[in-house]
Amino acid sequence: METDLREDLLKAFEGKLNQTITMYLETCSRCGICTDSCHVYKSMPRPEYSPAARAEVIRKLYKKYFKFQGKLLPALGEARSFDDTTLDDLNRAAYSCTGCRRCMTHCPFGIDTQQIMSIAKLMLVVAKEEPEILSMLADVSISKGESIDMIKQGFIDGLKRLEKDVVKKWKLEAGQIPIPTEVQGADILYVALAGAHSIIPAAAVFNAAKENWTLSFFEAVNFGAFVGDPAKTKLIMDRIINEAKKLNVKEVCICECGTAFRVLKQMSGKQPFKVSSITQVHERYIKENKIKVAKNQFNGVITYHDPCQIARNGGVMDEPRFILSQLTDEFIDMAKRAENNYCCGGGGGLVAMGEDSHDFRMKSAKVKADQVKATNASLLVTACENCHSQLSDLNKYYNMGVEVKFLSSMVADALIHD
Amino acid sequence: MSENIKADKVLDLKGLPCPMPIVKISKGIKEVEINQVIQAITTDPGSLTDFPAWARTNGHEILDTIQGDDTITFYIKRVK
Amino acid sequence: MDTLNYIILVPMVYLSSAIFIAGMIYRITSIFKKPVLTIPLRIYPEKNPVWLYTLIDTFLMPQVFKAKPVMWYFLIIFHGSVFLLIIGHIELIQMFDIFQIIEHDVFLGKGFIGLSLFVSLLYFLFRRFTPQAKHLSVLEDYILLTLLLMTVILGSEMDWARTWFGFQEMTVEDYQTYLKSLLFFKPDISDVTYSGHSFMLVFHVFFANLFIMFFPFSKMMHAIFTIPLNKIRRG
Ligand code: HEM
Ligand code: SF4
Ligand code: SF4
Repeated sequence: METDLREDLLKAFEGKLNQTITMYLETCSRCGICTDSCHVYKSMPRPEYSPAARAEVIRKLYKKYFKFQGKLLPALGEARSFDDTTLDDLNRAAYSCTGCRRCMTHCPFGIDTQQIMSIAKLMLVVAKEEPEILSMLADVSISKGESIDMIKQGFIDGLKRLEKDVVKKWKLEAGQIPIPTEVQGADILYVALAGAHSIIPAAAVFNAAKENWTLSFFEAVNFGAFVGDPAKTKLIMDRIINEAKKLNVKEVCICECGTAFRVLKQMSGKQPFKVSSITQVHERYIKENKIKVAKNQFNGVITYHDPCQIARNGGVMDEPRFILSQLTDEFIDMAKRAENNYCCGGGGGLVAMGEDSHDFRMKSAKVKADQVKATNASLLVTACENCHSQLSDLNKYYNMGVEVKFLSSMVADALIHD
Repeated sequence: MSENIKADKVLDLKGLPCPMPIVKISKGIKEVEINQVIQAITTDPGSLTDFPAWARTNGHEILDTIQGDDTITFYIKRVK
Repeated sequence: MDTLNYIILVPMVYLSSAIFIAGMIYRITSIFKKPVLTIPLRIYPEKNPVWLYTLIDTFLMPQVFKAKPVMWYFLIIFHGSVFLLIIGHIELIQMFDIFQIIEHDVFLGKGFIGLSLFVSLLYFLFRRFTPQAKHLSVLEDYILLTLLLMTVILGSEMDWARTWFGFQEMTVEDYQTYLKSLLFFKPDISDVTYSGHSFMLVFHVFFANLFIMFFPFSKMMHAIFTIPLNKIRRG
């Protein structure tokens, strides 16, 4: 490896070494308790898919360059220098991990493999060896933030086309706008995704609850976080923070997108607004009687896939179950405890990599498919775009015979008048 | 104007989940020659901001955007 | 032979203690000088009070109990024994009344602490050779376990000889004389080097010295970091 590149990689590595990550790197006892917790390993039991084995790729470099033991007696911990295969190994470790953090709930020390993999991802960015598509998507998001005043009119015009669909789901009262934008002082800023399916049902529910809401010009998803580039993550997140501050909203509601929710909720620091997921908002509406939903409109057994970033990592676990209890009498959980649900296998940017990652995504999520099949459900509900895409792919690949649905669209379809 | 544009490739991106429209258009543009034109049809309102931003960061040119009743059609020229 | 005994029982003990203390201070301060990560890395669901769950996670390892029950039994036996072992060694320097709340002979545990340490260490060592763990293991893991196993075997044998077989040549008082003399920097090894069992003590101390010196620079630092890390997970 060229000296310049090595220097740059080491600088990036060192920049990542905060207290927490350093303790993660120091503490692992290689006990392997986490091994069976990873859906990738469970589906494809190869030693390199153990969470600790992924982390060892980083840890061995850490020992070589940042730890006394590795400098003095490298053989003790198999300390390793950068060589021609290092970047490949980093890639394989980081992009076979979805960052679901299920392993973290099994480790006796609570080691967060996603954090350790973020070092690998950053080094890949520095070496320009990251999945090109993820960086490109992040750049598009950033560029949108810079040029929004030029392009927003087209978007506003585009929303007009959706209005009739919104009204079809929920009739408006006089004075209500189907999809409001740029409402100064709105109670809720709703951040959706590009697709109509993430705008229409949400709008219908907001209108039914008579919410004073406004739609964001930006898409919620943060590709900077997928590719592990902290600078881009922040730029993408700041677009939404700035919009929320400019409009002076009380609450930012994130659509069904796990990464978007976790990034904004946990990385935005202290802000004058509160961050919620649309699932939380819908639960609130039902509990406060702002909307009413019909029960048993959906036939058959219904199960719910907990999106890792929203449930285990975001704390939204009871809310979807409450909503489903209002929609059906035939709900069945996949795992005893929600935080123990397996990852769908599509996180960490894998779904966005499309066909390139398809084979791995399917094979590494066999346990998820088994988990779903064991419920005998006919309807598989989730609350994350990324999970929805992956589960739909799994449905085809493993002949799961379910229908995959968004929770928010079910709420919209079940809306009834008093 | 769009009647005069001849598309060399048509991409149907209707109803795709995030971020597939951008992923597919990025792949698709590599499959035509420089100066050829792709016609991309979507249903995403978000594509009305995404596509211009994508074209800008990747140096391609959007020749025309037509909003129909149910779909949005982009004509995009591969520049490099 | 006498010189070797002396080197191991006196200067090497001082050296390893010094390396241990300096190493611990250096390692811990160098980590706490690093920037603090402000992003929360907690796992849900939330359980309050956080400090209580942190301590439960740290000392009872419920996660391991759910995932690998067999491993959990050995881990609890092992770490529990380590705790008692530390008390036992303190009493080999000086008796303290608080330890005698539950009355016992020195060395406490009637020989069974050593036995349970021995069995759990064998388990830890053997499982390192199972396919899953083998791929993860590095030399350090085997070395630490081997050092401990050697230390435990030799230490236990001295204990077993006294408690199970009535061996009288080296008594608790002799060990106390030796260890106290070290503590007050007036080393006196005469009471513990004349017996036929003395070689056990010498080797026990030798392996323990190596372990203690290696401690701050190895994964043994988990003994310290487990508390802050478990706190981070609980939020
Ligand atoms: C109270 C906090 C502690 C926790 C939660 C903890 C947890 C663990 C765990 C999970 C292992 C994994 C077993 C393995 O590596 O196969 C382990 C191993 C071990 N721990 Fe601890 N430990 C703690 C404190 C200590 C202390 C204070 C010592 C001091 C001697 C210690 C000594 C060891 C040893 C020698 C091993 C065996 C290493 C091995 O198996 O390779 N631990 N500990
Ligand atoms: S469970 Fe934790 S300590 Fe054990 S190998 Fe996995 S990451 Fe390391
Ligand atoms: S974060 Fe998830 S995918 Fe990554 S190693 Fe842990 S369990 Fe496996």
